[in-house]
Amino acid sequence: MRTEILCRPAASVARITLDEGESITCEVGAMIAMSTSLGVETASRKRGGGGGVLKGLKRMFAGESFFLNHFTAKTNNQSLIIGPSLLGDIVSHKLTGGNLVVQGSSWLASGSDVEIDATWQGFGKAIFSGETMFWVKCSGTGDVLLSSFGAIYEVQVDGAYTVDTGHIVAFEDTLGFSIGKSAGSWLGSFLGGEGLVCKFKGRGKLYCQSHNPPSFGKLLGPLLKAR
Amino acid sequence: MQTEIRHRPAFANIRVQLERGDSLIAESDAMASMSSTVAMRARWAGGFFNALIRRVFGQESMFVNEFSTDSEGEVILTQPFPGDMECIELNGNTVFLQPGAFVACEPGVKLTAGWAGFGSYIGKEGLFRLKASGTGKLWFGAYGGIFTREITGELVVDTGHLVAYEPTLKIHMGMAGGIFSSFFGGEGLVSKIRGEGRVYLQSRSMGGLAAWTNAHLY
Repeated sequence: MRTEILCRPAASVARITLDEGESITCEVGAMIAMSTSLGVETASRKRGGGGGVLKGLKRMFAGESFFLNHFTAKTNNQSLIIGPSLLGDIVSHKLTGGNLVVQGSSWLASGSDVEIDATWQGFGKAIFSGETMFWVKCSGTGDVLLSSFGAIYEVQVDGAYTVDTGHIVAFEDTLGFSIGKSAGSWLGSFLGGEGLVCKFKGRGKLYCQSHNPPSFGKLLGPLLKAR
Repeated sequence: MQTEIRHRPAFANIRVQLERGDSLIAESDAMASMSSTVAMRARWAGGFFNALIRRVFGQESMFVNEFSTDSEGEVILTQPFPGDMECIELNGNTVFLQPGAFVACEPGVKLTAGWAGFGSYIGKEGLFRLKASGTGKLWFGAYGGIFTREITGELVVDTGHLVAYEPTLKIHMGMAGGIFSSFFGGEGLVSKIRGEGRVYLQSRSMGGLAAWTNAHLY
């Protein structure tokens, strides 16, 4: 499987080339174009894996679809183009045994040897992190494709790092975060408009998005007509 | 202090590398992420009175954030909409920013709210504007790309596309053509910018996006 990301960062798509027998699991609706010798299978679980209905339901809580699409190549050199519906960036993260925790709606696709499952990060994070209630946990080996609203930038955290709510895309689980105040005092945090932030600790890779959908929504929303 | 505007023009954001003794002022809620060694402190946006005007008439926060560090660290600053950013260096000169355009500045830049006039208000460009003067770098952003025009005489600009302009320019409200083309040609009211100086325009407008979205809602 080879992955190439085109049109970065404004309107990114991923072109995936699969050889015979190789397969990839994608978010429902992500396919833009594909070669004819690719088989498509829609299921609520990982290909050949367990879980089924329960995993599908958990995924729905994580802001993803109940179903997943599996694309499998019947012959060599089959290409598949996938992309998210919003404007934004895509990055590819290579899993080699560790776990990657992905913000619900940022998971786009992953290789067939990657296990995906929804995880619960606790009430505090569910309510205050500005992200979805559940997160998608990816484990195993292979590529994971992440999408975002805005450009994705990578931060190599060693020690501590602060991210504003709504800007997390994914992080390696050697990192953990807690919700805290952004400035020295609670008053300053809210007056300064940043409010709560996510404070990461540990050592590992963190992906952030440069823009944040709720901030854009707050500007656009009042201009839209009532329905 | 080292700064860089990244991911231009679609998703411009600023990466700032702060050293001990540096400080930077940014719009409320502009911070996307930062090192834990960076301290953030809220302060009035140019004094209480200015802050109040900003809140009431510009619909912006009364506060801005000041970032500083005791060692070193990075801050990523962004804006709510996708688009480009521009950095200019003020050297005793002044520039007017439209509401929502300000992103960040060095502490030597003074921010005050200024009266923009009724012409600006009727042209839907706001009754007040942000006046940036002093010395230091100033960052502002736009929805869409940013382009500049050197005006000598007059330039007609559609409502919602103005980002920043020099104080030697005055804004008047006007119609794009006659009454017929102004109301049926889709241009409506326009701003007429007169004088000599530089103007910064954005290639898209939030009003345009809202109108397009409204037309596709069902």
